[in-house]
Amino acid sequence: MIFWEIAKRNIRIHLLRSTLAMLGIVIGVVAIASMGILGNSLVSTVSESLKSVGDSVIVTPYSGGGGGFGGGGGSSSVSLKITEQNFQQIKRVSAPNTAIPVYSTSDHMKIGVGSDDIVAAIYALPSDDVPDMMKLQSGGYNNGNSGCLVGATFAKDHNIKVGSRIAIGTDGSKGTLRVTGIIEERGMSFDISTDSALVVTPEWFENAYDRNKDYDEVVVKVMDGDTATVKTNIEKQLNKRKDNKVVSVMDSKATLATIYATFGTVTTFVTAIGGISMLVAGVSIFNIMMMSVNERIKEIGIMRSIGTQKKEVMRMFIYEAAIIGVVGSVIGGILSVLAGYAISALMFKTTKYLLTVANALSVTEGVTFGIVICLVCGIYPAWKAANMNPIDALRHE
Amino acid sequence: MEPVIKFEDVVKVYPLKSGDVTALDHVSFAVEKGEFISIMGPSGSGKSTLLTLMGCLDSPTSGNIFMGGIPVRNMSDVELTNLRRDRIGFIFQYFNLFPLLNIIENVSFPEMLKSGRGVKEDRAREVLRAVQLDESLYTHTPLELSGGQQQRVAIARALINNPDILLCDEPTGNLDSKTGASIMELMTELNRNGSTIIVVTHDSNVAKYTSRTIQIVDGCIAS
Repeated sequence: MIFWEIAKRNIRIHLLRSTLAMLGIVIGVVAIASMGILGNSLVSTVSESLKSVGDSVIVTPYSGGGGGFGGGGGSSSVSLKITEQNFQQIKRVSAPNTAIPVYSTSDHMKIGVGSDDIVAAIYALPSDDVPDMMKLQSGGYNNGNSGCLVGATFAKDHNIKVGSRIAIGTDGSKGTLRVTGIIEERGMSFDISTDSALVVTPEWFENAYDRNKDYDEVVVKVMDGDTATVKTNIEKQLNKRKDNKVVSVMDSKATLATIYATFGTVTTFVTAIGGISMLVAGVSIFNIMMMSVNERIKEIGIMRSIGTQKKEVMRMFIYEAAIIGVVGSVIGGILSVLAGYAISALMFKTTKYLLTVANALSVTEGVTFGIVICLVCGIYPAWKAANMNPIDALRHE
Repeated sequence: MEPVIKFEDVVKVYPLKSGDVTALDHVSFAVEKGEFISIMGPSGSGKSTLLTLMGCLDSPTSGNIFMGGIPVRNMSDVELTNLRRDRIGFIFQYFNLFPLLNIIENVSFPEMLKSGRGVKEDRAREVLRAVQLDESLYTHTPLELSGGQQQRVAIARALINNPDILLCDEPTGNLDSKTGASIMELMTELNRNGSTIIVVTHDSNVAKYTSRTIQIVDGCIAS
């Protein structure tokens, strides 16, 4: 069609001007799409870190509002615990899901003779429940009373292997444990963070730290039903009195949803910042289209006088804006994938999250927005051109 | 047979802040098919207004204009545009070709508007041959042609849709006398072949080629 041809030739004849306008769109698309890719990659990275969270409900002693569990009066120095009686209640209301009582502390320890004194977290949970909570990368679960499991990061940092010995307590006062297994990396989690910790038996823990069925937390692994219902049941059972709550209950699924929603908001925000550059590019397109119209007033007058309809004149200018928009946006889309690759490689040290549906959508959004902005910014100049009085346009010098 | 154009008591008033200006004052005339008419008059006499009304680019304040017996008064913008495309051929003083298009494309432009299709090269070549333009120039752009050659292209463009009438606004005003004479001879030949031509000019040498002259003074037809 002749108007498409005229639009193309007009862009070609004003190549520098058109290229600069396209550059604005390219920058806008790259800003929007790469910000989207950054946000999506961030979410993917966090998801990867939290993949071990699974569906669980974490019950800890209530520490807020001045009340306290275990006879405390609200002082921060009071040690809050979950009693065996409360654990049994949690177990009952959570059934048939597994409720796992967990001891936790941190202590000094030494690995091997003459090594530096280090401090690390120590967890204790029933041996039968350990396979439900974690997987091993080497060794075995059956750690016996003087055996322990160590986290992957801890093992790597301190060159610990299956069979290594760890003296617990200052100068080994709590005894020596033999490493029977290395726990697979679990990443961030809401229940227990084992990557840099030790996992021992409850019997050893109770003996070493003089504890007796007063747990630091209870983890309910939800296999049947949903986490929200389990959470509600526990709260109903244990926090009957609003002014004297016994436990705090966290639903891992809901917490994850909140985290993802927060990341979603952050992604939207940074993408919106990218959108500002697109608006600036839109103003530039508008300006260039107005220049194009003003330069061609006489041409418009000739066209109208020899029988060109208003809509055809309008179409010619819209084509021009569309060519700038499509070419600029597509180039921007390609560059944003490259920018996303660079961002992923530099910030997250991996590009495995690049080729995802979410990132494809971000690039598509950026490209679509670029094209739409160009078309919208081309509408008024095109309308102005189409509605010129042909006589005035013909007389224009 | 209905006249190609008929003006019936046409008045055109331009409302201005400083007061209304009457450009045409109760003008009536008719142009029959096959006529070759010149419209002459001094500057500000209303020649250009008459041309824009004949070309359906503007509408009268009062009175009626008929194109082939059809009143144009109540036509929509789309209908008037189609009328200009199909039944009127415009020839301008400054040629007004499209610099981005080559000669074939320039000539084909009104035909492409009409058909909604691409360039019909055969038809464009046929019309260009009729206006005696050298075939080697067909793929050039207008700016590569002389004034006389550009005006021949403009005439070819005006002829491509076989219009009822050719409206020419000072067609030789931007040409030297020799080239201007050749253009007027071409028009004479087109008229001899059946084209109805109206030339607006203030050049009496141009008027000599026409068979009738309408003199317009102060918005009224003097003779």
